[in-house]
Amino acid sequence: MPSQIATAQTDVVFRLVGESGEGTVSLGDLAVKMFVTLGLDICTFQTFPAEIKGGTVMYQIRARSGPVPSEGDAVDVLVALNDEGFDLFGDGLREDGILLYDSDVFTPTPSPGRTDYSLPISTLARAEKDAVRHSVEPEQLKRLPAPKNIVGLGALLRLVNAPLEPAEQYIRDLFERKGEAIVQMNISALHTGADHVAEQAAGHRTPRVFPVERAADIVTVNGNQMLSMGAIAAGMRFYAGYPITPASEIMEYLAKELPRFGGDLIQAEDEIAAIGMCIGASYAGTKAMTASSGPGISLMVEQINLAGQAEIPLVIADIQRGGASTGMPTKTSQGDLNLALYGVHNESPRIVLAASSVEDCFWTAIEAFNLAEAYQCPVILLSDQTLATRKKTMPPPDLSRVRVVNRLTPTAEERAAGYRRYKDTETGISPMSIPGMAQGAYVGTGIEHDETGDPGYTPQLARQMKQKRFRKLETLLRERGEEFVRVWGDPGEVEVGIIAFGSTESAIREAAERAQAEGYKVAHLHLRLLNPLPVEPIQEFAARCRHILVPELNFTGQLAGWLRVHMDIKFHAYHKDEGIPFLSNEIYRQITMLAGK
Amino acid sequence: MATAPTQFAPKDYKSDLKPIWCAGCGDFGVLNALYKAMSLCNLDPEQTVIVSGIGCSSRLPGFVTTYGFHGVHGRALPIATGVKAARPELNVIVVGGDGDGYSIGAGHFPHCARRNPDITYLIMNNNTYGLTKGQVSPTSMVPLASLNPKVDPKRWKTTPYGMMENSINPIAQAIAWDVAFVARAFSYKPNQLADLLAQAIRHKGFSLLDVFSPCPTFNSDQTEEYYKDFTFDVPEDHDPTDRVKAFELALRTDGYPIGVIYKREGKPSLLDEQAALRNRFVSEPPATVEALFRKFR
Repeated sequence: MPSQIATAQTDVVFRLVGESGEGTVSLGDLAVKMFVTLGLDICTFQTFPAEIKGGTVMYQIRARSGPVPSEGDAVDVLVALNDEGFDLFGDGLREDGILLYDSDVFTPTPSPGRTDYSLPISTLARAEKDAVRHSVEPEQLKRLPAPKNIVGLGALLRLVNAPLEPAEQYIRDLFERKGEAIVQMNISALHTGADHVAEQAAGHRTPRVFPVERAADIVTVNGNQMLSMGAIAAGMRFYAGYPITPASEIMEYLAKELPRFGGDLIQAEDEIAAIGMCIGASYAGTKAMTASSGPGISLMVEQINLAGQAEIPLVIADIQRGGASTGMPTKTSQGDLNLALYGVHNESPRIVLAASSVEDCFWTAIEAFNLAEAYQCPVILLSDQTLATRKKTMPPPDLSRVRVVNRLTPTAEERAAGYRRYKDTETGISPMSIPGMAQGAYVGTGIEHDETGDPGYTPQLARQMKQKRFRKLETLLRERGEEFVRVWGDPGEVEVGIIAFGSTESAIREAAERAQAEGYKVAHLHLRLLNPLPVEPIQEFAARCRHILVPELNFTGQLAGWLRVHMDIKFHAYHKDEGIPFLSNEIYRQITMLAGK
Repeated sequence: MATAPTQFAPKDYKSDLKPIWCAGCGDFGVLNALYKAMSLCNLDPEQTVIVSGIGCSSRLPGFVTTYGFHGVHGRALPIATGVKAARPELNVIVVGGDGDGYSIGAGHFPHCARRNPDITYLIMNNNTYGLTKGQVSPTSMVPLASLNPKVDPKRWKTTPYGMMENSINPIAQAIAWDVAFVARAFSYKPNQLADLLAQAIRHKGFSLLDVFSPCPTFNSDQTEEYYKDFTFDVPEDHDPTDRVKAFELALRTDGYPIGVIYKREGKPSLLDEQAALRNRFVSEPPATVEALFRKFR
C-alpha cells in the first residue's frame, strides 16, 4: 500500500466507534461533510446495532484525493468514544496507527507502535457550555447540548492537519439562527478540541489530508438515494412500501420527492399489501416499485409470482441484510440471491439484477424499470446494506445518458381486429393494453389462461403459455444480455479469474489491481444480470482462467450454486456471511493462494 | 364515476364467457344485479376495472366486458387500491367471497377503510368455501363441537365434529372500522340488490355490500329458505348516518337486516390527500432529476 504519511496525496482511513445514540454517527457525518468541503473524495461503511440506543456503532470513512475504490482495509486513525467500541472494532487499526480516545470514558492499555491521543470530550464540552452561561437565555441554556461532537471534530481535523476554516463556516451556517453566543461556543469548542490534540502532537507523525481544488457540482450520496433517484429518472410514479431496515430510507426519500413529480406513495399495512398495490398501479399503466429486505421479500413472493404469470411490469428492490429470519437487520449480506432466483412456487419468469456500486444503484434502477417494461415481468433489484448506507462523493451522473423504455401497447388497429392480451409471439412479448383503451379490455390473471386471458388448463395451453412467458427471458438474453457483464484485467490466459456480483466489486477491484501490480495475471468478471444468466460470456471468460474464484457474502455459496446449474466449470468458492463486507486484503490473499497452486 | 357518452344496457356488460357456477348458485343473481346496477349508473365498461381474489365468486371479472384483474387469494383490496391510486378517474369494483374477504383478506379491510379510496366491495357471502369444496369460513354458522352437533360429513369437511371457533359479524366489524358505506343484500331479492349496488357504486368512498348468496352445493344450512326466514328489511326509520344505531342494528340476534345499515358522507380519502399534496407543488418550477442531485452537493 502506498505510504500514507506526509505525501501530497491524501488516502486516510478513519474508523469511529462508540455507543449507538451517543453521537458517533453525527460526528462521522460532520467529518464527511468537512472532507467533502476540502475537495476530497470519500467512501464510507457503517455498521449499526439493531436497537435505537445502546450497542456499538462503527463508522468508517476513507478520505482520498481522487476516486475511492472502497472503504479501505487497515485503519489509520481510530476514534474511540467508548471502550466497548474499542474492544469490538479496534483490531482493524494498523500497528503504527493513531488512536484518539475519549478519556472521560475510558483509558486504553498502551500498545507499542500505536500513538494515543486523549481527549476528555465531555469535560471540554461542558466547559464550553459553561463559558456561555451568562450570554444565553436560561430556557435556551437548559435545552442546550454540550458541544461534544464539535470538540471531537476539531480534534479529528487537527489530528490530520486539516484546515479548520471550513468547519468554522459550517458552524456559522448551522447555528446562525440560534444566536451569536451559540455560534461562538461551537467555534470555541472546535478550537478547544484542536488545541488539545495539538498539545500532544509534538514530535509525532500523523497522516495528513490535503485540500483539493474540485468542481462545484460534486455530490455526496448513498446507494439508497441513488436507487431512488434512478427510479424517478426511469419514470416510476407509484411507490408502496413498508418500513424495514435498511430499505426504509428509500420510502422516506421518495415520500418527500415523489409528490413533486406528480407521483403517489403509500405506506401500506404490510409488505403483502405494498406489492399488491404496485401490481394494481402497474396494471393500470403506472410504473410502480416497492423496496424491502429479506423478511419483506419473503412475504412478497406469492405476488412476485402473480406478476410473472399475469405479465405485469414491476420492480422490487431487495436491500439485503444479514439473515436468516430476523437475522442481523443492520448488517450486510448477499444471502437473498436464491430467494430472488428461486423464490416462487412452480415457475414464472422474473429478471434479477444486482447493483455493484453506489453509482451503479442509479443506473441499475433505471435498467430495472426498462427491463420490467420491455419484458412485462417482475424485476428483482438486489442491493445491500453496504451500498445502501455507503456515502460516496462523485460527479452527478450524466443524465443525457438516461434512456427510458415503456411497455409495448396495442395499436387501435390491433384492438379493433380482436385484442388478445396474451398473444403468443416470436419474442414472447404481447402488447399490453391500459384500462381506458377502447376495445382493449381483458382480465389480467394468475390462473393459467389462453391468449385472451380466459382461464384454461389443457396440456397444449399449459405448454404454449409457459413457453411464451419464458421466451421473453430468452429474448432479453439475446437482445441485451452481454450489456450486463463487465470484465476487467489481463486479456487472454490468466492465472486467476474472479466471478462475482453486487457490492463485492470494490474490494475485488482493489485486490485484483494490487495482484496485477505485483505481476499476477488476473481477470475479473462482474455480473449485473443474474437471471436470465448470460452464460456465453461467462463460459468464454472461464475458458481462459486457470483458476476461478467465486467470492460472495452468504453461507452456502449461492452464486456458485447458480453457476453450477448452468455450466460445467470448476471453481473455488469463497463464501462467508458475517455481516461485514470483504476486505480487499482477504480477496488478495485468495488470489495469490490460488495462483500459487 | 366514469360514465359513457351513450346509455349502456345491462346486456352490454355481459361477456361471452359462460359462468362456471353451479345451477342454483346465488352468484347468478348477483351477476345480473351487477349488470343492472352498472347500467343504472351508466358506467363506461372501458373505464371500469373489476378486481377479484380467488374463489367461485372471484371468477366474476371474466363474465363482464370491463377491464379486470383476477389476483391471488385475499389480496383484492390492495390491488384495487393501487389501480385507483394510479388512475383515480376509473371506476373500481372489487368482488369476492366471504372466505377471500373475511379470512385471508381480513387484514386489509381496516386499512382500506382508513384510506377510504372510492371503490366498491361486493362480497358474495355463502358462509362457506365453495371452490375448495366445503370448508367453514369465518361466517359459517355450524354449531360448536362442544355442543356435540350432528354435522353432515359430506359438507363441513374440516370441522366434522362441529365448528371450533366463533363466527364473525362482518357488518359490525365494518361499522367499527368506519367503512364509509355498509349495506347488506340478498341474491334472491334482485331488484333491491341492484338498487343497493348502484347506491354503493355511487357513494363516494370505500363502500361494502355484503350479499347473502347461497351455495346449493356445499352449504345445506344457509339456503335460500334460511335467508328468506332470517332476513328483514332495514326499518324505514333507521338513520344510517347514526353510527351507534347502525351498530345496534348490526348486533341484532333476531335476524339479518337487509339494506343500508351505515353511511358516512364526506369521509376524507387517501386520494384526496394525495391530490392536495400534488397541488401544493403545482406553483413550483417543474421537478427535475438535476434538481434532486443539486440537493446532495
